[in-house]
Amino acid sequence: MSSFTLGHFSQVCSQLLNHYYGEIVGQVGSYLLRRGNRMLNDIPTATGLSIREVKKALAVMIQHNLVKFQASERNNNVAEYTMIHHNVYCLIRYPKYLYMIKRIYGTSEEILLEILLNLGQASASNVIFHSANRLNEANVLSPSALHQSFQRLAQDNFIIRCPKLAENATLLKVPTLEIEEKEKFAVPNVEIEPIARMLKEKATQLGGHCDSEIIWRVNHERFDIELRNVILVNAAARRVDTTAGELYHLILKLWRESSNPDSPVTTPVSYNVIKDAVRKNDSSPILLEHFDHYLRVLYEDSAGLIDRAGDAGGGQFNLDYSKVFENLACASLDSIVLERFGSKALRLFRLTRIQKFMEQDQMQNVAMIPAKEAKMFTYKLLEHNFLQIKELKKGTSNFAPVKSFILYHVELPQVVRTTLEASYKGLFNAMVRQMHDLTENQRLLEKHAMLESMLERLKGDGVPDEEIAELSDTMPPAEKSLVEKIHLMSDNLTLGQTQADETILILESYLKFKSKEL
Amino acid sequence: MGGRGRGRGNAVSFNIEQLGFGRGEAGPVSVTQPPPLFPSLENRPLPLIKDVENEYILVTQKDLSTRMRNSPFYLKKSENPSYEKELPVLWNRMPAELRETLPKRLATGNSKVTLNAKKKKVEDPDKIFAKLEKKERNESEVEEDGDGKEDEDDQDKSDDEKVENEDDVEEDLDEEMDDHTDYANNYFENGEAYLEDEEGQDDGEAQF
Repeated sequence: MSSFTLGHFSQVCSQLLNHYYGEIVGQVGSYLLRRGNRMLNDIPTATGLSIREVKKALAVMIQHNLVKFQASERNNNVAEYTMIHHNVYCLIRYPKYLYMIKRIYGTSEEILLEILLNLGQASASNVIFHSANRLNEANVLSPSALHQSFQRLAQDNFIIRCPKLAENATLLKVPTLEIEEKEKFAVPNVEIEPIARMLKEKATQLGGHCDSEIIWRVNHERFDIELRNVILVNAAARRVDTTAGELYHLILKLWRESSNPDSPVTTPVSYNVIKDAVRKNDSSPILLEHFDHYLRVLYEDSAGLIDRAGDAGGGQFNLDYSKVFENLACASLDSIVLERFGSKALRLFRLTRIQKFMEQDQMQNVAMIPAKEAKMFTYKLLEHNFLQIKELKKGTSNFAPVKSFILYHVELPQVVRTTLEASYKGLFNAMVRQMHDLTENQRLLEKHAMLESMLERLKGDGVPDEEIAELSDTMPPAEKSLVEKIHLMSDNLTLGQTQADETILILESYLKFKSKEL
Repeated sequence: MGGRGRGRGNAVSFNIEQLGFGRGEAGPVSVTQPPPLFPSLENRPLPLIKDVENEYILVTQKDLSTRMRNSPFYLKKSENPSYEKELPVLWNRMPAELRETLPKRLATGNSKVTLNAKKKKVEDPDKIFAKLEKKERNESEVEEDGDGKEDEDDQDKSDDEKVENEDDVEEDLDEEMDDHTDYANNYFENGEAYLEDEEGQDDGEAQF
């Protein structure tokens, strides 16, 4: 996608590949991220890896939907490989995906998704088999229940079918894959019997099965939409209250069902339809009672969460993604300016952003900040690229010196892109630091982990407490507190990465919808 | 220098006032070195959000990392090349060139072999016929240089599809390897992708 600038973003991606798939995949991935389409033979010379390693790395990445291939134009028997940037970045969001699925559906769907994420691409039977294995400790779920869960995930488009081999594909060296629109979410018939049998026999692999040619993968686009919706619902809940959030969640669902996912503006939904949905949905009584008020508050709000598009059917309401994400991006930028420079700088920033072009004098007067401070903050904001300068020359007469006006303005796409780069950089720094801490203290952490598991086991076996205390003393308290510290730091870094990712999502969405409207 | 500031050239083009500082005050500090690698943090950042979602994410992230690291997809260096488990990857959906790392000398029941066996059957009748004809001619000319005919035979073989050659009956491969070189194959350029494993290391160099 052209909206990504490859500097820090590709660093983050390399780091993710290293972390989840190992150094070899990391190196091949970095090379392809930098260089675009490449054929197999270019890679070993550039990365210094053996051709066998490169082939395995490519196979792993294709399996996990991180790389796509195409027959080269010059030679049909050789393929050109390209990284799918967005999917690599989405590796960082896997825990979020699992949380969302767990919240929307439940544990069995969560496990199904986790298995699919681990396998990359797999048939429905395989996923069901492995999930049942994973859950078998509790011995709760049967394969047919899992099959229904699988269908639910497919119905809501969270998982999608991979393109299948074209008819003559087996004869080609580089197979062509294709899929029709209507097949994308169609779940095939799955034979439960053989799965149940294999489970009973405690097999580790499911053998041949009837739907082995129908392969599924996670649908990243759908998860992106869901993540954006979560942000919007939270925004509604913060601006008004939780009931408004509920209402907004319902309306988002209606829009999603009726609109084209690629368009920047949803199709309008009428008041009556919304009211029906609210009634049908078994919502809280407050919402039913004050439905009118909530709707009005939401569409009159300046954040643009709902726009009134017409009066038919009691009122037509739609959502303009570019407007709402512009507001969200501005809010993020405001918050960043506030935390870095202080509230006076924030006043200047907001003023300039809203008033478009301002002179220095105007700024300090309207913002009511003393001249010297105003100048200092203006300079700071300029230095960090939050403000931009436009110079207008007014050379009227030939005798007077040329006067020039210096106008300050905020060029939003540029500022957003700079901040986005800074976010990627921060994310990368956090990941590197975390990796460093964990590998440096690896021996200590492993020792601690082994000790803990041993203690657990002994406790379970009913060994007396004194012996347990003695064993746990084999590790001095200094080491224990160090392990604590490391875990705490690692957790904080993970949280930091998650929050950075949220900002990244908002800023990226703004840039995406902005480029769509042009 | 002469053309600037027309008319009365004494006045400069900017106002001191406009620059933002009076006559007596110092100008802005000039930059003498690159900015520090870790600039000091002026304001302390806000605390991290710790709610239910983030707790879940922490646990899941650790779990996921461990699982990924132990999965067969995690590629480590310095694996013993003779003992290698096959990657649990859907090979039939990938370009053929990626599959050639499989230990094909000990042909396990791969779908690849059966595929090529089919291909071989399709092309064989013509080739076999041509070979038989050639062999007839060879046998009739007994005194002829054995090498010359062998070369022709080899040329026949190398003119065939690369794939066919690869997965020919294993005896063929062994025959060629028995001389401890792949000389016969390399003499006629088959392109870099052919028998990649050993020869792949010599990328770029001429093959003799």
